[in-house]
Amino acid sequence: MQMSDAPVIATHRLVKTFGSTRALDGLDLEVTPGEVHGFLGPNGAGKSTTMRVLLGLLRADGGTVRVLGGDPWADAVSLHARLAYVPGDVELWPNMTGGEAIDLLARLRGTLDRGRRDELCERFDLDPTKKARTYSKGNRQKVALISALTSDVELLLLDEPTAGLDPLMEAVFQETIGEAKAAGRTVLLSSHILAQVEALADRISIVRQGRVVETGSLSELRHMTRTTVVAQTDQPAHGLDRVGGVHDLTEQDGQVRFQVDGDRVDQVVRALAPLGVRSLVAHPPTLEQLLMRHYGDEGTAQDVSGQNVSGQNVSGQNSREQAVPR
Amino acid sequence: MTGSTAVATPTRRQELPARPNSLAGTGVLLRFSLRRDRIKLPAWVGGLGLFVVYISAALPQLAPTEEDLDSVVPLFTQPVGRMFTGPAFGMEAPTYERFFAAGYAPYLYLLAALMSIMLVTRHTRVEEQTGRAELVRANVTGRHAALAATLLLATITNLLASVVVAALAISAGFAPTGSALVGLGTGLTGMAFAGITAVTVQLSEHSRTAAGAAGAVLGASFVVRALGDMTATGGSTLSWLSPLGWAAQTAPYVHDRAAPLLLLAALTVATVFCAYLLQGRRDLGAGLFPARRGTAHAHPWLGTPSGLAARLQRGGLLGWGVGIIALGTVDGAFAQALLDAGEDMPPAMQDMFGTSGLLDGYVAFLGSFVSVLIAAYAVFAMQTLRAEEGSGRLDAVLSTRMSRTSYLAAQVCVVAAGAALISAVTGLSTGLAAAGVTGDWAVLGDVGGAHLGLLPGVLIVLALAAVLYGWVPRLMAPLGWAIVALCALVTLFADLLDLPDWLVTLSPFGHLAELPLEAFAASPFLVLTGLSVAGVALAVFGFRRRQVNVV
Repeated sequence: MQMSDAPVIATHRLVKTFGSTRALDGLDLEVTPGEVHGFLGPNGAGKSTTMRVLLGLLRADGGTVRVLGGDPWADAVSLHARLAYVPGDVELWPNMTGGEAIDLLARLRGTLDRGRRDELCERFDLDPTKKARTYSKGNRQKVALISALTSDVELLLLDEPTAGLDPLMEAVFQETIGEAKAAGRTVLLSSHILAQVEALADRISIVRQGRVVETGSLSELRHMTRTTVVAQTDQPAHGLDRVGGVHDLTEQDGQVRFQVDGDRVDQVVRALAPLGVRSLVAHPPTLEQLLMRHYGDEGTAQDVSGQNVSGQNVSGQNSREQAVPR
Repeated sequence: MTGSTAVATPTRRQELPARPNSLAGTGVLLRFSLRRDRIKLPAWVGGLGLFVVYISAALPQLAPTEEDLDSVVPLFTQPVGRMFTGPAFGMEAPTYERFFAAGYAPYLYLLAALMSIMLVTRHTRVEEQTGRAELVRANVTGRHAALAATLLLATITNLLASVVVAALAISAGFAPTGSALVGLGTGLTGMAFAGITAVTVQLSEHSRTAAGAAGAVLGASFVVRALGDMTATGGSTLSWLSPLGWAAQTAPYVHDRAAPLLLLAALTVATVFCAYLLQGRRDLGAGLFPARRGTAHAHPWLGTPSGLAARLQRGGLLGWGVGIIALGTVDGAFAQALLDAGEDMPPAMQDMFGTSGLLDGYVAFLGSFVSVLIAAYAVFAMQTLRAEEGSGRLDAVLSTRMSRTSYLAAQVCVVAAGAALISAVTGLSTGLAAAGVTGDWAVLGDVGGAHLGLLPGVLIVLALAAVLYGWVPRLMAPLGWAIVALCALVTLFADLLDLPDWLVTLSPFGHLAELPLEAFAASPFLVLTGLSVAGVALAVFGFRRRQVNVV
C-alpha cells in the first residue's frame, strides 16, 4: 500500500454550481495517506456533491481536484480500480439478491474475496439470499458497505454510511473501519452523526455551505474551544465568572456549570480548589459543540433565511458568543 | 377519550364509522392527482381528439366522394384488414362515418385502454413501490382512498375522452347517435382497462409487472378480437370474448346498438369490485404473490459490463419478445385464410399489399408491423438506463472500474442483440406457421427476409435513443416514443391517409427494401447499419462528456 506523503485527496478552491445554486464554493480538502478523515456538515452542506466530484461523476466548475494523484474526471476508470464508494442513499436492483449485488459491485471493481465477503455478511448479520426490494434502508446500506469493504482498495469513500444502521451494526462498522485503517487504507467518511466521526476520525474537516470552515485533528480543534465543567462546591462559586476565560456560568442548588477556554483550565482549577470541591466533572467539547460554534459564528445571516441549521440552537449559542468580548 | 367509555354502544359506533374511513382523504388525493397530471391527461385526451379531427379531414382527401370509398373498402373488409381494424360493419354501403367507425375508431379504443393502464399504474403501484404512498397513508387517508381517487381520476379522464371524441365526430358531420357510441365506446373501453389494471396492481409488488400484466390482457384481447373479426365480417363468437371487441360491436352509424356497451360497464364494475376486495386482503406495499428468495452469490458473468446489461434487460426482452413472437406466429397461421379470402380481391387492396401476389404483400406488411413493434421494444429498453441513473445505481456502477464507454456500449449492444433475436425468431416462427398452413415452404425464406431486412430500421431508432441518452437524457423518452409513433403511423396509415411525403421520409423503414415485394437492396441496408454504429459512437462520446444524474 502506498505510504508516501502526497495527499490521497486534495481539492483546492473547488467550485460546483447547479444553475444559480453554488453547491461547492471554494472547497479546500486534504486527506493524507492512511488516515480516517471525518467530513462533517449538516444536510445540504455539499458533502455528497464533493464525493460525486471526487468520483468524476460531476465535473468541477472551478478549482483543482486530485484523487490518488490523478484527475477524477479524466482518469476515472484507473482511479476507480483503487477506490470503493458507498453512496449515502443506497439503491439496489430490486430483482437481484443482496448477495448478487455485493458480488457484482466487487467484481466490477476487480476483486472479490469470497471468504472476506462471507465473513462480513455474517458480522453484519445480512441475509444475502433476499431480493433487494425486500431490504430495509439499513440492509441496503450493509450491502454497499460489505461490497466496498470486501474490495482490496487504497481509498474508501463513504457517504453517510451508517445512516440506517442500528447501534449494534454501527459498532461492527466501527470495527471494520478500524481494520481498514490497520491495513493502511485511507478513509473519507462523511457524516452528520458526530459520535461516529469522533470515535473513528484522525482528522476532521467541517464543511458548511460548500466550504471547509475548519480542518484539523480532534485535539487541535478542541484546543480552540472550551471545556465544560460541572462542579459541586461547599462555598458558593460566585466570583468564578471574573476569572479570565470562563463563560456561561450558571449556578443551581450548589452546582456550578460553566465553560472555560482551553488554555485557561489551569487558572480555573486553582480558583475552584479553595471553594471545597465535592464533585467535579469536566469534559472536552463534543463535536456537536464544535459544529454549533461554526454554524453559530458566521451563520446568523443565513440562518435567518432558514438555511441548514436549526435557528434555535444557533441563536442560543450566538448570544453567548457575543457576550464574551464585552 | 377514555372519559366517554360509559356512553352507550350506538353512539360509539358513530365515533368510529367503519366504512367511510377507508375512503377518507379521497377528495384531497383526487385534487392532488389532477394537479400532478394536469399536462399528461389533457395531452392524451387532446391526442384522441386530434386523431378524430385528422381522420375526418383526411377521408375526403382519400376519396373525394363517398362513392369513391367503394374502391378503398376492401382495406377493411378483407380478412387481414379486419384483423387490424374490426368487424367492418356496413361496408356494403360505405360512408365517411362508417369508414371512420370501421377502420379508425378501434384505434381510439386501443389508445384509451393504454392511457388507462398507464394512469392507474402510475397512481397506485408506482406510488407504493417508491414509498410515497406510505407518506400519504400515514396521514388521515383510508386504505382504499388512493385506489378510489385513481379510479375517479380515470373516470373523469375517460368521460372527457368520450365527450371530446363524440363532439368532434358530430362536428365533422357524422351522425350523432353513432358518434355518441364511438365516444362512449372509447371511454368505457378505457374504464374497463382501468378496472383490469386496478386488479393487476394488487397482484405484484412491482409497477412494471403490474403494467405488464394489464398490457398482456390488452394484447390478448387484441389477438382474440383480431381472430374473431377475421373469421367473419361482423365478427364471430371470439370477437365477443374480447373486451376490445365490444365497443366495435355497437356498429356505429350502421346498427347503432348500445347493448354491447353494457358488457364494458359490467366488466368495469366487476374488476373494480375485485380490486377493492383484493386490496382489503393485502398490506401496503406488498403484493398478493410474495417475493421469493434467490441465490446468495452472483454468477461470475454478472460482474462484467455485458453481463450486467443482460441482467438488466432480461425481463423486458422476455416480455416483449414473447408477445411479439406470439403475435407474429398467429398472423403467420392466417396466411391460408387470407389466400382463400383474397381470391376475388379488388384492385384497391393491391395498393396496400402490392401487386405481386397477395401473400407477398401480407408477408411484407407483417415484416414492417413487427419491426415497428421491435423498435418500440428498443426505445422501451433504453428507458432502463434512465431508471438506473435516476435511482443512483449508476453512481455505484460507474464508481467501479467500469468505464462509461463500456457501460453504454454494453447496454446498447445487448438491446440491439435482443432486437435482432426477436426479429429472427419472429421471422422464423411466423414463416413456419405460414409455411405450415399454406404448404409452401418458400414462404419461410420470404418471411425471414421481410423481418431481418428491416432490422437496420430498428437499429437506427435504437441509436437515436442512445444519442438522446448520451446528450440530452431528458428528451429520450418523449422523442424516442415520438419516433416510434411516427414509424407506426407511416407503416399502418401511409397509404390510407395520404400522409405528406416529408413525414413518410422520416420513417427509417421506408428507405429499406420491402422484402419480398422488392429485391433486397444492399446499399440502404448497409448505410442505415453504418449510421446506427456511428450513432452509438456519438452517444458514447456525449455520455463521456456529460455529468451523471444531474437534471
